[in-house]
Amino acid sequence: MKKAMKLGAIAVTASMIFAGLSACGSSTQGNKTADGKTVIKIQTFNNFGYEKSTAAKPGADLFAEYEKLHPNIKIESTVASSSDEARTAFNSSISTGSNSYDIFAVDIAWWPSIRAIGNKFMDLKDYTKNNNWPDWVVKTGTDDSGRLIGAGTDIGPTALCYRQDLFEQAGLPTDREQVKELFGGENATWDKFFEIGQRYTQKTGKPFIDNLGDVAAAMKVQKEEVYVSKDDKVIATEDGIHDMYNLLTKNANLSAGVSTWSDDWNASFNSPNGFAVLTCPAWEVNNVKGNAGADFRGWNVADVFPGEAGTDQGGSWLTIPESSPVKEEAAKLVAWLTNPEQQSKVFVAASNFPSSPKAQATPEVADKTDDFLNNAPTGKIFANRAETIKHIPYINAKYYDIDSKFGAALDRVDCTKEQTPEESWKQFVEDVKALS
Amino acid sequence: MSEKQQASVASSGRFAVFSYKATPYLYVAPFFILFLVVGLFPLLFTVWVAMRNYNTITGDSGWAVCGAVCGTRDQSLVGNFQWVLHQRDFWMAMRNTVSIFLLSSVPQIIAAVFIAWVLNANLKAKTFWRMGVLLPYVIAPSACGIIFSQIFSDKSGAFNVLLQTIGLAPIAWHADTLASHIAIATIVNFRWTGYNSLILLAAMQAIPTDLIEAAVVDGAGKARTFFSVTLPLLKPTLIFVILNSTIGGLQIFDEVQMFNNGTGAAGGANNQFLTVSLYLYNLGFNKVTIGESNIGRAAAVAWLLFLVIVLVAVVNFSITRKLADAETRGKKRMQKKAQ
Repeated sequence: MKKAMKLGAIAVTASMIFAGLSACGSSTQGNKTADGKTVIKIQTFNNFGYEKSTAAKPGADLFAEYEKLHPNIKIESTVASSSDEARTAFNSSISTGSNSYDIFAVDIAWWPSIRAIGNKFMDLKDYTKNNNWPDWVVKTGTDDSGRLIGAGTDIGPTALCYRQDLFEQAGLPTDREQVKELFGGENATWDKFFEIGQRYTQKTGKPFIDNLGDVAAAMKVQKEEVYVSKDDKVIATEDGIHDMYNLLTKNANLSAGVSTWSDDWNASFNSPNGFAVLTCPAWEVNNVKGNAGADFRGWNVADVFPGEAGTDQGGSWLTIPESSPVKEEAAKLVAWLTNPEQQSKVFVAASNFPSSPKAQATPEVADKTDDFLNNAPTGKIFANRAETIKHIPYINAKYYDIDSKFGAALDRVDCTKEQTPEESWKQFVEDVKALS
Repeated sequence: MSEKQQASVASSGRFAVFSYKATPYLYVAPFFILFLVVGLFPLLFTVWVAMRNYNTITGDSGWAVCGAVCGTRDQSLVGNFQWVLHQRDFWMAMRNTVSIFLLSSVPQIIAAVFIAWVLNANLKAKTFWRMGVLLPYVIAPSACGIIFSQIFSDKSGAFNVLLQTIGLAPIAWHADTLASHIAIATIVNFRWTGYNSLILLAAMQAIPTDLIEAAVVDGAGKARTFFSVTLPLLKPTLIFVILNSTIGGLQIFDEVQMFNNGTGAAGGANNQFLTVSLYLYNLGFNKVTIGESNIGRAAAVAWLLFLVIVLVAVVNFSITRKLADAETRGKKRMQKKAQ
């Protein structure tokens, strides 16, 4: 859910009001309610699909179901509007040991700092024997001494979303099988992707992609080492990233130059002059729908993605601090929420794609189609994409500090157009130096 | 009366004196105890943290170290300060903060004095106008930020659409440094001008009418009355308003955070509108890079910001006093001449 970090701050305000209301409504004392139920407090962010379904945030209402199954449990859930906001609460709770929550949802970006204090989190291995994850999800959630401290929820297999109405105007195929072939099917490459983009933009004069940063985000996670090498050397200013930067900035003319999550970006989704393709993690379908309007029928998704390996963008884990007074009960809840059955329910209700291969194979998931995407078989498409994901890049403490500087470097060329690619790269090199 | 009784009266007398003397202090004690706990202690603790190698997650690990940017791994009390002063981002943030402060406070206070002066005249539906100018103040700063960040969107924003319909080039609100400062200053001014006007209006109404009348009888025009009578008498209130907007202006955060609009570096791709508070927040609370003294460095930024605010406030205070004094002296000279 890395990409979904900044939702509108309207939601901040709204969630604060609701947090305030629920704080007044509950009559809990410590970790027991007045009638003796055990209270488990959980913090998630954006939309994990656990809550009651609303128009803006679809959900499978899992907490109510769990409370029904376990009448002695009461779940108090807080949904932060962005992972940044959730992280601030997480940091202060963990560093002071205040136990604000018993279960914290964590973003992939938090792992370097969680691993540094791995022993402050509970080992979930014994509780999650019936859960089912691919290796890389388990590996990310495991600390240096081999304890499983994070239980994987969803993952972000990425496919290619495209505007079939704009493709049609440009004389490109609109059928998702033909689009798959157009981009090269299983052998799709980034060179081919940009070549098609150049043809599209030259013919129509319209932007092909939303911004360079979004494409870069999908490109870089296909590598095993991005900004830092596995022996913790900074390689961000060496050839690997520089080549990627050059390829991207050479194609800056394809970009609409609208920063992801900005109002301009939101307004582009149903515009006749909007961008034509979007690198689309499963969960982002919700955002596309929200911005384009549920009745808009221009978007489609093809079972293809450029690059040598599959792309995972986002994905989350649930963790429990060792100091939680109800950690056994919390661990049972975490195991239940992340087991294949519940993961399927979440995908059916919302679009968060299950990390569990077993869940991916269930008929509810595999046969899901999305009428917003012109009845695309999203279950099958994202499962195929997930299968190509073999790893995520090596991430250490420096990774995301450098990442934000790299994003800014692309923005300076693409969105704010204030520097040439060479000037911006020079500044990026200096920025990386200053981070030490 | 026995000796015993006398002693008891005397002692109760001593108690009465004590309680008479101590009671006022007891009454003000709650504020000072609260201030000690939530004000002074954090303030002093920040000094401590600013000198330590302190990470939000892993905690305190000895005296601060400046690191590679200073070319030294030695521990020192000022390591965090040195690191901060070596950061280009910090100086950009300082520049932006001062620029946004000037662009907001100066026009805002001049406008506020003018609006107060207009409101002080005999208007119809006085209360309506007075409430009207205060109305933006009820909107929360972040809400203002959201509204204006939509108006100032680079492509779909109302302002740029308007400019384009009348045939002008759109303004790059998020790319151009000065444009972004003006946009943010607009958000601040929208919210605070009315508030300052009302405070100044209250001060204007406290000016005795006979002074104004005397000036009018002496043949002073509207402008002359305003500059020679009203403005000097507003001095104490002006000092208050200016100090307040100095403190608030240099700490600006919400509006800038909301103005960012979208992902990417908060403060702009090239730090166009990164302010010191935003820099502090990013350093201390958003990034918790393990192995770095993130909260220690943020504490150092907080102290540097504090020093700048004190400096600017002192300068503003003395300028305001001098200006107003000059007015009064000028008036006295005139009186002497008249004699």
